[in-house]
Amino acid sequence: MTPILSESAAPRSRSQRQSLLKQIMGMPAGAIFLVFVTLQIVCIAGALLYPDDFRYLSPQNLTILMKAVPVLGCLALGAGVLMIAGEFDLSIGSVYTFTAILMATLVEAGLSAFLAAPLGIVAGVLIGLLNGKITLRFGLPSFIVTLGGLLFWRGAVLLYNGAVQVRFDPEPVFSSLFSGTLLGVNAAFIWIILFVVGFHFLLHRHRFGNHVFATGGNRGAAEAIGINTDRVKMVAFAIAGGMAAIAGILATARVGSVQPGQGAGLELQAIAACVIGGLSLRGGRGSIIGIFLGVLLIHTITDVLLLLRAPGFYLDMFIATLIVLAAIFNHLIERRGLA
Amino acid sequence: MSNLLELHNISKSFGALTALRNLSFHIGEGEVVGLLGDNGAGKSTTVNLISGIHKPTEGYLSVDGKRTMFSCRSDSADAGIETIYQHTALVDSLSITRNIFMGRELTDRFGFLRQAEMREIAMEVLQNAVHISGIDSPDTLVGNLSGGQKQAVAIARAVYFKKRVLLLDEPTSALSVRETEALLNQVLKLKAENVSSVLVTHNIYHAYQVCDRFVIMSHGTKVFDVQKADTTINQLTEYVVLT
Repeated sequence: MTPILSESAAPRSRSQRQSLLKQIMGMPAGAIFLVFVTLQIVCIAGALLYPDDFRYLSPQNLTILMKAVPVLGCLALGAGVLMIAGEFDLSIGSVYTFTAILMATLVEAGLSAFLAAPLGIVAGVLIGLLNGKITLRFGLPSFIVTLGGLLFWRGAVLLYNGAVQVRFDPEPVFSSLFSGTLLGVNAAFIWIILFVVGFHFLLHRHRFGNHVFATGGNRGAAEAIGINTDRVKMVAFAIAGGMAAIAGILATARVGSVQPGQGAGLELQAIAACVIGGLSLRGGRGSIIGIFLGVLLIHTITDVLLLLRAPGFYLDMFIATLIVLAAIFNHLIERRGLA
Repeated sequence: MSNLLELHNISKSFGALTALRNLSFHIGEGEVVGLLGDNGAGKSTTVNLISGIHKPTEGYLSVDGKRTMFSCRSDSADAGIETIYQHTALVDSLSITRNIFMGRELTDRFGFLRQAEMREIAMEVLQNAVHISGIDSPDTLVGNLSGGQKQAVAIARAVYFKKRVLLLDEPTSALSVRETEALLNQVLKLKAENVSSVLVTHNIYHAYQVCDRFVIMSHGTKVFDVQKADTTINQLTEYVVLT
C-alpha cells in the first residue's frame, strides 16, 4: 500500500536543491522582502554617490520616515489581521479621525490624556465590534457594511465637533511617550516595532492566529473542526477598530492637533499596504512582516519621490502600479501554490 | 458485539420537507459500513445528523448503548466520531501540521503554540499511522497536495485524535484510481485497529471492495440492510436504482 503514491510525488523532492533566491521567494513575504532590500540598496547607493542632491540618509529624512510609518503601520496591522480572517474594514480611516477628535476634545475639556487615550481605543474597539455584529448578524459583505461605516463616522466627526481643527495639548509625559525620542529613535517608531513583534507572535505563534488563518482560509473547515469563526471575526473587527484608534493617538501626539478631514483615503492605503505585503483579498494568506514591509515600501517610495521633487501625481501612479503588480503576483502564487 | 452507534427511528423534517423517515441502523465496533443510495436519498442529512450538525425531529441516537443527543459538532467529536467531508475538511493556506492540530492546538499556558512538538507528532502520524507517500514535510501547505493526499491528512487527523468512527462523505468522488485504492486500503488498515468507518457514497463498486455491510437508503428511509456475504453487486445496484 505504501508505495502506491510515491512515484507521483517524486518531482517535489527536488525542492531541496532550490537556489537561495527561490527559497526566499517561497517564504511568506519573501518577494516583497527582496523588492524592499533592492530598493534600499539603490537608495543608499544613490545617497552615498550624490549626498548633496539625494538626501536619503540625512538625519532629517530618516526622522521624517520614522515619524510617517507608525500611523499607516497601525492601521495596516489592524486591517491586515481582519483581511486574513476574511473580512474588510473600510471605516478605519474615519474611525481613526473620530477617535482622535474624541480624545482631543476630552483632553481639551480637562481630562488626563492617560484616560482620554484609552477611551479613544475603547471607542475604536466598540465601532469595530458594531461593524462585525452587523456583518455577521445579517450575513452581509463587510465591504458594504464598513463602506457605510466610513461615511457614517466621517459624518459623525462633523456632527460631534464641526469642521474645525482641535488642538491636542496633553501632559508632557504623554507627549514624550508617544512623540518623543529614545536613543535618537522616534517613540512612535518604537511603538510600531513593538506592535509588529506583538502581532507577529499573536498571529503566527498563538492559537488565536491559527484560528484567524483557518477562518479566512476555509470557514467551513474551521467551523467543522469546532472553531467559533464568528467570534474570531468579531475579535478581528475589534482589533481593526482598536488599531485605528491607536493610529489616531500616534498621529495626534505627533502633530499636536486633529484635522476633521485627515483620515480620508488612509483605509485604502492600509489595504494597499496589506496587498503589497502579500495578503490575499480572499483571506487566509499573509504575514505580519509582509504587512509591515508593505507599509515601509509605500513610505519609502513616497519619500524617494519627494526627495527627487517629483510632482505629487507620480506618487499616486507609482503606488497604484505597485498595488496592481503585487495583486497579480499574489494571484499567481495562489494559483500555483508556490511550493 | 456491542454496537458503537445506533440510530433509532429517526425522522428529520425541514419545514414541510421530510428528509428522513423512521430511519434505524447501527454501526458496530471495527465495522465498515457502506451507506448507499441515489442522490436525494437522505445520505447527507444522515451524515449531518450523526456529526451533530442537525438534530433529529423524532427518534434518538445511542453511543455504546447509551441514549444520547448531539447538539453540535463537538458533541459528536467527543463521542469519537469524525466526519471527513470531501471539500471542507482542510484549509489550503495552512501547513499539514497546522491542519492536523486546527482547533485542537497544543499550546502553553498563555495559548502560544508548541510548534516543535506539533510538528514532530505530525511527522510521526504521517509516516506511521497513515502511509501517505510523497509528502516530504509536515510544513507543506495543504493546497499543494493532491486530492488523495488531502484526504489522507484528514484521516491522519482523525487517527491521531483517536476517533472510533470515520464518516467518509463521498470519499472517492474526486480521487484518481490509484488514490482511491490507497484510501480504501487505509480504511481496511484502520478496521484492523478497530476503527469503524462509514462510507457514504453512490459508487457501489468502491463500497463493495471494503465494506462488511451495506445500508441502502431511498426517499429518506432504509430499504435494505445486508451483510456482504449475503449479497452481490448486482443485487445492491438493483436496490439503489429501483427503490
